[in-house]
Amino acid sequence: MLLRVKRDTTGSLAALDPADEADLIERCRADDRTAHDEFYHRFRRQVAGNLYRVLGDRTDLDDLVQEVFVIAFRGLERFRGDARLSTWLYRICVNVALGRIRTRKRRPNAVGMTDLDSAPADPSLTERPETPDRSLERRRDQESVYRALEELAPKKRIVLYLHEIEGLDLKEIAYLVDSNPVTVRTRLFYARREFYKIIAGDAALAGDEPAGAGEGDDA
Amino acid sequence: MSAHVAPHRWADLWAGRVGTAERALMERHAAACGSCRRTRARVQRASDSFTAIRDQKAPDLAWDSVRARVHWSVSTERRAKVPPPRRWPWPAWAAFAAATAGAVTLALVTGPISLGRDADEAPVLSNAAIHAPSPARAEAPAAAALVGLVNRTTGDVLVDGVRPAEPFARRIVAGNTLVTGDGGVDVQFGEASAFALGPRSRLELRRFDAQAIELVVEGTLDVQVAARAKDQRFTVIAGDRVVEVRGTQFRVQHDASATSVACRHGLVEIGRADRTPRIAVAAAKRVTLGPDERVVPLTPDELAALADATPLSLPMWNPDVFEHGSAPLEIATAGRREIRVDGVELGTGPMRVRVMPGRHTVEAADNAGRFRRAGWVDVAAPTKDVRPARLEIPAEAPPTRDLTARRRQFAGNLDRARLAACTRSAAKQGLTGAYVQLEITVDAQGAVNALNIVDTDLPKLTRGCVLDAIRDTLRFQRGAAATWRERVEL
Repeated sequence: MLLRVKRDTTGSLAALDPADEADLIERCRADDRTAHDEFYHRFRRQVAGNLYRVLGDRTDLDDLVQEVFVIAFRGLERFRGDARLSTWLYRICVNVALGRIRTRKRRPNAVGMTDLDSAPADPSLTERPETPDRSLERRRDQESVYRALEELAPKKRIVLYLHEIEGLDLKEIAYLVDSNPVTVRTRLFYARREFYKIIAGDAALAGDEPAGAGEGDDA
Repeated sequence: MSAHVAPHRWADLWAGRVGTAERALMERHAAACGSCRRTRARVQRASDSFTAIRDQKAPDLAWDSVRARVHWSVSTERRAKVPPPRRWPWPAWAAFAAATAGAVTLALVTGPISLGRDADEAPVLSNAAIHAPSPARAEAPAAAALVGLVNRTTGDVLVDGVRPAEPFARRIVAGNTLVTGDGGVDVQFGEASAFALGPRSRLELRRFDAQAIELVVEGTLDVQVAARAKDQRFTVIAGDRVVEVRGTQFRVQHDASATSVACRHGLVEIGRADRTPRIAVAAAKRVTLGPDERVVPLTPDELAALADATPLSLPMWNPDVFEHGSAPLEIATAGRREIRVDGVELGTGPMRVRVMPGRHTVEAADNAGRFRRAGWVDVAAPTKDVRPARLEIPAEAPPTRDLTARRRQFAGNLDRARLAACTRSAAKQGLTGAYVQLEITVDAQGAVNALNIVDTDLPKLTRGCVLDAIRDTLRFQRGAAATWRERVEL
């Protein structure tokens, strides 16, 4: 049975049916340049979107997209077809993102870690009729989430992201991070505890209720 | 419930993973506890933003540029894995000998033989070749003129007797003459088709169009050319000899004393202008032209030398992107060092090489021949305002003795407290675990002749402070003169 991640990750293009997918893979393996082009054209937005959402910023995003496709083209020979192509690509994205997170941990940016504020091309923020205040608030909340993610160990961060934000189940996450569901469950347990503890201490998220409001602080 | 509610339990509550009884307890506790109420609000706001994060679309990137870089990377790797020369089975040799004998007989009877005219199955040469905007020759019918682009230069190169200011922007066309000094030049004129002119050589592009390529050489010329299409001729003229080519890689050396031709793979044929019988030189063979024109096998060393001299040919996914999207990268080395870019060996530096925009890793070989990472360089898309990318690779530190004593003295004199003061501000911004790599030269008297930071991840201001702190406290005793590199973790 093919493993398929629930999320529709095919971007703007229609999803390939399994027969077309197998044909595309075969043509890519035969070094057909038009097949390579089609592969790239079909999956480029999905790959960029996955990386962008996992990492929360677009610094060097084009380099990372390049890395994913280079790995994919190299690895197509060994692709056994036990998952959908899009899922397999998602797995490569996760691994590339993991590598990136590890590098960033060693060499953190001196300035802000996310650039969600400086992403004017993000249509998700412009398509909705939001007030500027609400839009700003939403961006701040997203920044807080990524800031908290940034404090987690890379492996914990990935499983937490895939579970809490992408909504994937343990089996799917286990395939994506090349682990087993029991390990993922343990990792997720500690990741969630750590993540929400950081969130609870984040004053930037305290806008809804001023500190000390209400009666009887600290039961 | 007297204890506070763990923050992640609020997330469980929103996700419906908490039973009714526990939920009631948690709500009751939050009603009486301001801290837990705040936690609940924060967790809820964070959870609410998950949907927005999940729905974010990919930002627009320079998709074509990324595609070109992917293609470049994948193709470069593929090209690096060149298969060994294939030996023909004896039936093929027999068939070839019979065909050659037949062709020679036919030539004697009917006149010149046009090689390659019967190659119906041959793929088209340089289907992605770069064509000049207008035909260079007035002959009828006018064939589309070809254009060559310089891919790599080492040392001086003259085009028509002039040293071009920007050789990578210069189009090499029919009628041009290239002359090299101590280095060489590689020119690509289509997909998988390129030539490399060796040191102290001269090449005239007598004809350079889609129908025929005629190169007149004095010196050393290495050629790699994709299989020719029907009606295409590729000849190299060396003195009174004409080397005619099918898809192949070969070398022609011609000077006043001798002419030799070596073929790495494919097949070349050598004839004369007077159309005397031709000599066929197959893969892994060579011939020195003269009284005794015997075709002999190449030795392994000669084959390896031929492989090393393969002209640099970049994948030409799109000729326009190749010409206008690629940019030169200058690699400056102190002394001659073997260079590798993105894992592909490019020969001896210093050199300038054509690359696609993006980040490239450059490695240089040390004295023992091992490749060491020299750094990475970002190459921007070529524009008038952007200077060509350049990477300087410093000379290797000469081997020195008694380094252990010098290192000990260095470590003993470091003022850690002062270094910590320098990095405090960076540490507050989250930049911890930083380092500086120093190059230090000390003479026999213990005087510090040179102290430089060669690599660090610190910001500029902090870097200066750290260097001052080290310089002020560095003291050495008399001992051996030494130059070495020291990495200081901060």
